[in-house]
Amino acid sequence: MIVKIENLHKSFKDVKAVDGISFCVKEGELFAFLGVNGAGKSTTINIISGILQKDGGKALICGEDLDKNIDKIKSNIGIVFQNSVLDKKLSGYDNLKYRAALYGIFGADFKAKLKEMTELLDLKDILKRPINKLSGGQKRRLDIARALIHNPKLLILDEPTTGLDPKTRITVWSVIDKLRSEQGLTVFLTTHYMEEASDSDYVVILDSGKIATEGTPHELKNKYANDYIKFYNKKDEAEEFFVGLGKHIRKERDFILVKLDSTNEVPKYIAQKPEIFDDFEVLKGNMDDVFLNVTGKYLKEV
Amino acid sequence: MQEAKKLCSLIGRNTKTYFKDKFLFFTSMLTPLILLILFFTFLRNIYIDSFTAAFPEGFSVDSKIINGMAGAWILSSVLSVSSVTVAFCANMVMVDDKIHSSINDFKVAPVKSTTISISYLISNIFVVTLVIISVLVLGCIYLAAVGWYISVSDFFMILLGCLCNILFGSLLATIVLSFVSTQGMQSAVASLITALYGFISGAYMPISSFSKGLANFLGLLPGTYGTSLLRNHCMNGYLNELANVGLPSEAIKGIRDGFDANIYFFDNSVPLPVMYGIIVGTCAALLIIYILIVILKNKNISFKFLDKIKDKFSKKSICEKD
Repeated sequence: MIVKIENLHKSFKDVKAVDGISFCVKEGELFAFLGVNGAGKSTTINIISGILQKDGGKALICGEDLDKNIDKIKSNIGIVFQNSVLDKKLSGYDNLKYRAALYGIFGADFKAKLKEMTELLDLKDILKRPINKLSGGQKRRLDIARALIHNPKLLILDEPTTGLDPKTRITVWSVIDKLRSEQGLTVFLTTHYMEEASDSDYVVILDSGKIATEGTPHELKNKYANDYIKFYNKKDEAEEFFVGLGKHIRKERDFILVKLDSTNEVPKYIAQKPEIFDDFEVLKGNMDDVFLNVTGKYLKEV
Repeated sequence: MQEAKKLCSLIGRNTKTYFKDKFLFFTSMLTPLILLILFFTFLRNIYIDSFTAAFPEGFSVDSKIINGMAGAWILSSVLSVSSVTVAFCANMVMVDDKIHSSINDFKVAPVKSTTISISYLISNIFVVTLVIISVLVLGCIYLAAVGWYISVSDFFMILLGCLCNILFGSLLATIVLSFVSTQGMQSAVASLITALYGFISGAYMPISSFSKGLANFLGLLPGTYGTSLLRNHCMNGYLNELANVGLPSEAIKGIRDGFDANIYFFDNSVPLPVMYGIIVGTCAALLIIYILIVILKNKNISFKFLDKIKDKFSKKSICEKD
């Protein structure tokens, strides 16, 4: 285990931001932390990275106790913050140089790391420009380079793609995937994008500082998400058939959506009423359903 | 050794961030610029008239002495004011780091929080020193053009006076701004310092021209003595020259009193060594306060009364970011 958290507590005055959570992150996996604003995601990350002090509980990061070897832990983790924290008036090169120095990387070592990062993240054209003259995607690439400059074992991404255009989001994820496959980097992610959570190895959903549920995306979908059949033709016949079976139906302009308990029911209905299955789709439940059913909240709205 | 290299890197980063921020640089030079504009538009003539008013009837001197003394007086004002206003503005880098959470980027790195805190103080001293040296060089060029009567020993004493003022300004600014972490408080402090310090240090008008109550109150502020030190060293050569050409000692005393080279604390004249004692003692006290703040912050002991003030300026709390 690269991260092992036991009974973690943190309060701000009367607000319990993190209320006794426990979880583990395996080495090399993509771990997703989901939750609405105020659920306790950033507080947990801030505790793990040493920005905040915990009120109680135990945390082992990269095999080191958070209470005893914080400096060793800091050398092994890299963070991409929700909002870029790079110095806006300085160039990308200066930002990376000054940040690398904080990890004891100077001179030739820095130049070698800079070359590696420039190739990995395609930084060549943006290194000399001040941060405030860069686009959101370019800043993000530098944020990631800054987080990786000291070869961390654990990369923490706090909503890394929020506010980015789809193309840049794909670029960011292709870099992260490359790092995971080539270097076995463990990624600890918080995100508002359900498709990003769907691609992770393990998901923890936080609600009001507590763990609401956890598991692999597949397990969570099976447990909490509903499956559907979508009928494009024979809508009226399908509606009549499924209303008769007491199923919940949603009517749209071009199709009707029938809520199922499980996709295993589909063969049975095809056998019973083959003529209505003319133009249809079977839809597996997604992480949005999981989140909604677990917390009663839509993640995109918060 | 590694920690020392990290400290040097942070000092370099803080310094570069300040000089790259043109708006911040301009803001910090605002008070000295206003002072210079006022000097060249009308203050210069007022000072010259005041000097000559102290002369006995029929006494005349080379205009170089009078013009040079007016320039030396304004140079002492600019040096004194800049030591504080530039220190406060340059330390806005530290406040910006808190506002924009850049400080978190340092906190997640394996660098001691004391190293981060010390880097702000040292880079501030470095920035203020650079600005003060630049002002001093420009001032010396001006004085050489209008009339140079500053001896080598006085010049070194001016440098010593500048050092005292730089340390005073940087320590004061770093202590005050270490409690500022919101945009509102930042603006309030910057506006207050740039608008007020020129007056309370007697940079625009000599303290001797203020009411007795206000002059006595300003005598309680250590910065007054830092300014007066510079006044003494800047004007000394010119006053000596006036004595050499026969200006009576009463008239010289009148100029010294009128232009704050002599400072009175509740009617008692404060000698030069005592001025040094006050400013050096204040710097030592500020340094101790700063060390205590760094230690307490390092141990996460909060200053509750200041937290309440901060809450009034900003309702944001870290848990809202989740």
